[in-house]
Amino acid sequence: MKRRDLFRSIGQRSLRQQSPFELELQVEGGIEEHTDPLTLDDVLHLYRRLSYGVSMPEAQKHVGKTARQVVNELLGPKDPPAPQRDVNFVKWRDPVSGQMVDYTENPEGADLQAAFAIRSWWGTNYKRMSAWHTFEALRDPLSVERLASFWSGHWTTEFAFDDQYTQPHTLYNQYMMLRKDRLGNFRDMALDVTLDHAMLFYLGGWLNDAGRPNENYARELLELYTTGIGWYTEGDVEQAARVLTGWKVARFNDQPAPKGIYKTWFDARRHDTGAKEFMGVTIAARTADNNTEFQVRNEEVRELVNIIFRARPDAVSRFIAGKVYMHFVFSSPGEIDKQFVADLAKKFRDADFELRDLFLNLFISKHFFDPALRGAQIKTPIEYVVGLLKALRFNDTEVAPIDGAAWTGLMDQALFDPPNVAGWPGYRSWISTNTYPRRRDFARKMIDLLTDERAMQLIQEMPEHEDAAKFVSGIVRYMLPVAVSETRLTYYKNTLLEGQPDYTWGEKLKQPASAARSLRALLKAIAVAPDFQLC
Amino acid sequence: MKRRSFLATTAAAAVGTQVLGGIPLKAFTPMNMPVPMQPDDDRVLIVVQLFGGNDGLNTIIPVDDPNYYAIRPTIAVPKEKAISVLSRVYMHPALAPKDQYGFPQMFEDGRLAVIQDIGYENPNLSHFRSTDIWLSGFNSSDPDVRLLDGWLGRYWSNHIPGFPEFLPPDPIAVQIGGSLSMVLQSPKGDIGIALTDPKSFFELGQGLSPDMTPMSDETRYGREFNFVRTVAEQCDRYSSVVKNSFDKGKNVATYTDGGFVQQMKLVARLISGGLKSKIFLVYMGGFDTHVQQQDEYQNGLHPYLLGQLASGIGSFMQDALAQGFADRVVGMTVSEFGRTPFENGSRGTDHGAASAQFVFGNGVRAGVYGQSPDLTNFDGNGDVRYQWDYRRVYADVLENWFGGTPQETEDVLQDRVLPLGVLQRATSVDDAYEGRVEVNIRVSPYPSAEHVSVEWYQPVNAVTTVDVFGTDGRHVKTLLTDRLAPGTHSVAATGLQSGSYLCAVMINGRRSVAPLTVIR
Repeated sequence: MKRRDLFRSIGQRSLRQQSPFELELQVEGGIEEHTDPLTLDDVLHLYRRLSYGVSMPEAQKHVGKTARQVVNELLGPKDPPAPQRDVNFVKWRDPVSGQMVDYTENPEGADLQAAFAIRSWWGTNYKRMSAWHTFEALRDPLSVERLASFWSGHWTTEFAFDDQYTQPHTLYNQYMMLRKDRLGNFRDMALDVTLDHAMLFYLGGWLNDAGRPNENYARELLELYTTGIGWYTEGDVEQAARVLTGWKVARFNDQPAPKGIYKTWFDARRHDTGAKEFMGVTIAARTADNNTEFQVRNEEVRELVNIIFRARPDAVSRFIAGKVYMHFVFSSPGEIDKQFVADLAKKFRDADFELRDLFLNLFISKHFFDPALRGAQIKTPIEYVVGLLKALRFNDTEVAPIDGAAWTGLMDQALFDPPNVAGWPGYRSWISTNTYPRRRDFARKMIDLLTDERAMQLIQEMPEHEDAAKFVSGIVRYMLPVAVSETRLTYYKNTLLEGQPDYTWGEKLKQPASAARSLRALLKAIAVAPDFQLC
Repeated sequence: MKRRSFLATTAAAAVGTQVLGGIPLKAFTPMNMPVPMQPDDDRVLIVVQLFGGNDGLNTIIPVDDPNYYAIRPTIAVPKEKAISVLSRVYMHPALAPKDQYGFPQMFEDGRLAVIQDIGYENPNLSHFRSTDIWLSGFNSSDPDVRLLDGWLGRYWSNHIPGFPEFLPPDPIAVQIGGSLSMVLQSPKGDIGIALTDPKSFFELGQGLSPDMTPMSDETRYGREFNFVRTVAEQCDRYSSVVKNSFDKGKNVATYTDGGFVQQMKLVARLISGGLKSKIFLVYMGGFDTHVQQQDEYQNGLHPYLLGQLASGIGSFMQDALAQGFADRVVGMTVSEFGRTPFENGSRGTDHGAASAQFVFGNGVRAGVYGQSPDLTNFDGNGDVRYQWDYRRVYADVLENWFGGTPQETEDVLQDRVLPLGVLQRATSVDDAYEGRVEVNIRVSPYPSAEHVSVEWYQPVNAVTTVDVFGTDGRHVKTLLTDRLAPGTHSVAATGLQSGSYLCAVMINGRRSVAPLTVIR
């Protein structure tokens, strides 16, 4: 404890002045519920943060409702609807031979050609999975994929790390599990992930045997996934690793797979049956009789997770509430925001770590709707890409040739493949001289793809679109997070009308090709503004 | 004032190109802002980041320590395989790639310094936190303290007038590849650019200036807006600058194919082409050698990486020497930690603490800094203890290379840190005239018991500070801060525990150092 105190005092002295976010801030809203009827801007704000945006007609349907109503609707049912498109990565029809192929063969030891085929099949399926995810995200009317994507970034796994590959179908299974767990109890989610195939492989849990412990997952479970750094000892890490011994994954058809390929199984001989002492709690030794999968799962692994939540409830609730806050509200919280996070964390803990409560309390709070937080968040690449495709109202045929996942990759977010176990660093690291030109390039290309028909649809969806000035302010509200100055509005209107008087807009509207061309020019002008990167 | 008129022309040209819908938005820019200036001298720093934690004990080999062979039975480098350099130090053979300008030769030529056991107090074994500690220059393991920006970012953002509203003509820093590193971030925004290759940066980066004035910094929205705006402007402004330097520049040395080697090649070409950046950041990953780091013939992942490192830096130095810019470039390696002294069961090593650091260039005071690692006295986690605080080389860079003052170092590091002295500092005529010269310090008696007296001759009337530092470079206490008249002065050093110290007398911003030992 002494060391922590020492660090804290050093930290405060040396860092406080450095942080740019310690100035007076105007945020007034706290954890209390925002009960005013929602305005159009409120609805747009909510959808930008909790989903990937919303069309104007859809947004208008929610104006006047309470935040609680809309958030409940947007969070959706506990069990998510099935994905819109089915994917099956295990059995796959080879496009060349037309045969159903089962690529569970081990590339190690296979002949060169087969090994190459297996690995390229992983690469292909990784791309298919990323494309599938961007499509589901685009067509999700709720927040299912947005929340699942957040959790998939929290419980990191990587497609490619060092010389290893995680098979895409196990990443897919993990994603589907997080999708199902996204609004459940965080404790259950932790247990599910701990014994999930993808994580067992990624952090070496499958190599964790009695007598030869591998501490990798045990450490990250605490440091990165539940309590955060500083709430456990090195001894706790060692003991947790012992608890977690014996769980195996079957990756290839030449490995034992008592429960089937890609299913986690328990190897009793590799489990450390001795007593463990974790965070001051004893987990009793066991004998050969009760060293079974069912009992070890419940009496040791579940118990391990339970102990973390019992012994460090404040740490867990603060760490998770903070992470959720930084992802959905503001990435660089100041003092006032930290007070809010503390209040949010307390409610989360009081709700026994129910995630639905956490998200509900966050998104219906006065703090969330406070004007001072609008436009303060940098869009992640997936938000930027899916958000723009959604805003431009592309239909399925139009969107099909666009490889959204390749674009997010160019913007430094290869889906399901974060840079390391700590996940994407987020916030300002998303925007650099490497990635910003890609973002601009993407917007320009997408706007060029906007057909006359889609452009006219977009125009007609804006309120009072026949009035040039009102149309411009409508589209600016729709595309940008915060109202802009009169100067900018005038400039945008001049761009739309090519410097002609307002009444010419009516003429343009009669000729879709002309109106569409003007709209594309306007959208490009908006997309070059710095706040187009913000939400 | 050539530079000014050049700038005025380019600024006018920029406005001319972007008259948007009849409203040139630049017209709203306040006109009386300071003119952006490129820093005066032409000194360049190359930061070589070795991510994953480089194994210092298998880089600089402690061949005369039997403990080394005892704790590393399968991966130790045998004495006969290690390369002896000037009888001072033994290096891993991979650091001398065949037919290239390797580290042993650079050391013999006086262009390489080896710093033993560099690290920091209370080492953090997380890659991420420890990397943040190295790049930010703040040693804080408190998870509640978020490390947001870097020591170089803070220094240069305060050093460039008008930054970031106005950007200097050339980027202050260039990072090859990736998202911009924390070390180049500052509370005012990024001081540099990241690019993968100059051609695509040029093609995609042109015309990206938003042509909009900054927002007020009073709101969160305004700050993020300004952050993005600055990046956009950097893309626009620097894409052609970088391309021009790339086109004008050349490489005359031969480089091998590796990714890191090619990064060094690009850096040499940009410098050769006249890019006036102060910092280049290059990166090599893969040092997290938990498994199979080297086989019995000293081949494997770690030797491969060391070979790449030496090859890239060696070719770069040859290029710099041949093209005549070697005197104005120094480089340093940084790695978040070393490895465990004991090898693990899979011919690898796990996360450790102190490790070896390299500083290279003509401006380096070549040599070995510090003792061979003590393999009998480990820290609480069983790791090598540090001899030098990692910020000492930073202080060197800021004060002796970039010409900053000790006060600036203190502002940047939020702590008083003594430069290690691994970089040479030029003394100008002005320095001598204003008394910014080194003075002789007499510590008596030496070694000292109860009463220690520190005495020096003061050439000018100036504010003088006398500090005591630990030998690792961390500040212990201040003995005196006062304006003193010319003449001989002394001050008593009291209340020091037994041990070795460094005593620094700073007159008019120039520091002189003498050792001080207390035995009770």
